[in-house]
Amino acid sequence: MSQLIGAPLLVGAVAYTPNVVPIWEGIRDYFDEPDTAMDFVLFSNYGRLVDALRAGMIDIAWNTNLAYARTVLQTDGHVRALAMRDTDAAFSTVFVAAAGSGWSGPGDIGARRLALGSADSAHAAILPLHYLRAAGVNVDHMQLKRFDSDIGKHGDTGRSELDAIDAVLAGDADVAAIGITVWENIGRGELMPGMLEQVWQTETYSHCMFTALDTLPEAVSAPWVAKLLAMDWEVPAHRRILELEGLTQWVEPHLDGYAGLFEAIAEQGVDSRW
Amino acid sequence: MVVMALMRTVEQLAEGDTAEFPVASASELDLVRRWCAKTGNTVVSTMMVEQDAGYVTVGRGRPRNPATMIPADRMPGARLWLYTNFHCNLACDYCCVASSPRADPRLLGIETIEALVAEAAAWGVRELYLTGGEPFLLPDIDAIVRSCVDRLPTTLLTNGMLFRGQGLRKLQAMPRAGFALQISVDSPTAEVHDSHRGVGSWKRALAGIRVALDEGFTVRVAATISAHDDPALDELHALFDGLGIPRADQVIRPIALQGVADEGFAFSRESLIPEVTVTADGIYWHPVAALDEDALVSRQILPLAPSLDRVSDLFAEQWSSMTAASTLFACA
Repeated sequence: MSQLIGAPLLVGAVAYTPNVVPIWEGIRDYFDEPDTAMDFVLFSNYGRLVDALRAGMIDIAWNTNLAYARTVLQTDGHVRALAMRDTDAAFSTVFVAAAGSGWSGPGDIGARRLALGSADSAHAAILPLHYLRAAGVNVDHMQLKRFDSDIGKHGDTGRSELDAIDAVLAGDADVAAIGITVWENIGRGELMPGMLEQVWQTETYSHCMFTALDTLPEAVSAPWVAKLLAMDWEVPAHRRILELEGLTQWVEPHLDGYAGLFEAIAEQGVDSRW
Repeated sequence: MVVMALMRTVEQLAEGDTAEFPVASASELDLVRRWCAKTGNTVVSTMMVEQDAGYVTVGRGRPRNPATMIPADRMPGARLWLYTNFHCNLACDYCCVASSPRADPRLLGIETIEALVAEAAAWGVRELYLTGGEPFLLPDIDAIVRSCVDRLPTTLLTNGMLFRGQGLRKLQAMPRAGFALQISVDSPTAEVHDSHRGVGSWKRALAGIRVALDEGFTVRVAATISAHDDPALDELHALFDGLGIPRADQVIRPIALQGVADEGFAFSRESLIPEVTVTADGIYWHPVAALDEDALVSRQILPLAPSLDRVSDLFAEQWSSMTAASTLFACA
């Protein structure tokens, strides 16, 4: 592990927007106390981030759900989940179609052309197929249109989901699979009146997770996690960071929410490496 | 489709950066506003080129609340500066308002000052700062000070060199409570100070500080530092400490690139947190820019309240659209 005596905890994250810099500078400032001091390193993709965690270059990785699952699989489970966003604890995928389609439920999706986001996006590509399959849809015979943009960033940029929506609006696909956050950010369709409607929504699952190896001492991680969980939406300086990072509160890990993703990785033969 | 454009573009902007989007109708503009409210972004400005169509500029992130970043006593409108006059017994080579013995005095006059101060107090101004020029060249400066202190805490900026004869009597007639003198001393020894302000001026300023302290006044000191000089800050603070002036009353600031200064801190109205400033020529954004036409708020001095309102509104707009931090420039 990277932890040297007296050295700050080192957290790794992926730079998927320019705002990752102010977010992590803000977080670093917030943690600037003797027991919790930290610094951060930014990576260009989640593959490198997980490699760095395993190699001991960083102490904690801010992982997507797929990066968390890959860390578990690559270390035979020698990981510790530390904390997640409240929005990560109840994530879901929403299937949307052009307004007026009249479609409802997985049965209506199975017979349509489905637009998916980046192949390494759990919420916009991997889990949509898993939950459709679990609902009885023969996904192997579906007509899929994939938008593999920003590969390596696990769908963080949202670009592939917007591409999928555009495909539906242009008539090149019938249904798009998008993350709940994109659906929320377009007001569940209300901010695009008369254009989109929801066809189906998966059960909730867990998304991003602060992940450490099980070699990180509890005495090091515990004060850091306690300080993280104490960030307060009502404090303006905290709220700025929370809002940019897309949460209202940091919460304890919800590990049950990864069961579907581990099943999906096995079903779809998603490589546990890269 | 404006929301798709917003989703693609704004989410990838750095915090504080902006992007412009065409809007074709009032309802589309409303969608932009609702999207910004929902996603934590900001409508910075709109420019409608037809009745319902035009452009909207959106900024990434929410404008930070200035009240969380600026002390209450430095928020716009908390301070009011009055240039009582522009003539001076000195001709400092960095003077931001080009004062000198030959400068046109451009007096505000006691009646105007009384009207301004009454209005300022009613508006919510918390502190007054009288400056020039050298205010002690005015025969009625003691009466001006009394009329100000009757309403609000007041600080008078002076070079401290005229506390003799009539000047001393005027000083002695000024109130001690609710009043402070701010005297300029630029260096711990005479050489640097005198090179900018005139031979003998350091010694007389120090003498003036001692007179004022002996008379029971609160004295603050202000040093204006050139990038070309050794600031000798430790020695300067030691000098002020030795005079018994608390560190909180020791102001150190750079030269501002204004007036006759040929070097110094360059700024624009947009980069300065305003401190409303009244001169005989008009109302300005900040005392360090009281000759700067770009910093002119109004030619009309009275009534004052509309200009105080206007500066507050302009600052709120500037703050919400800023892409770089505004700066406090400490004149006092």
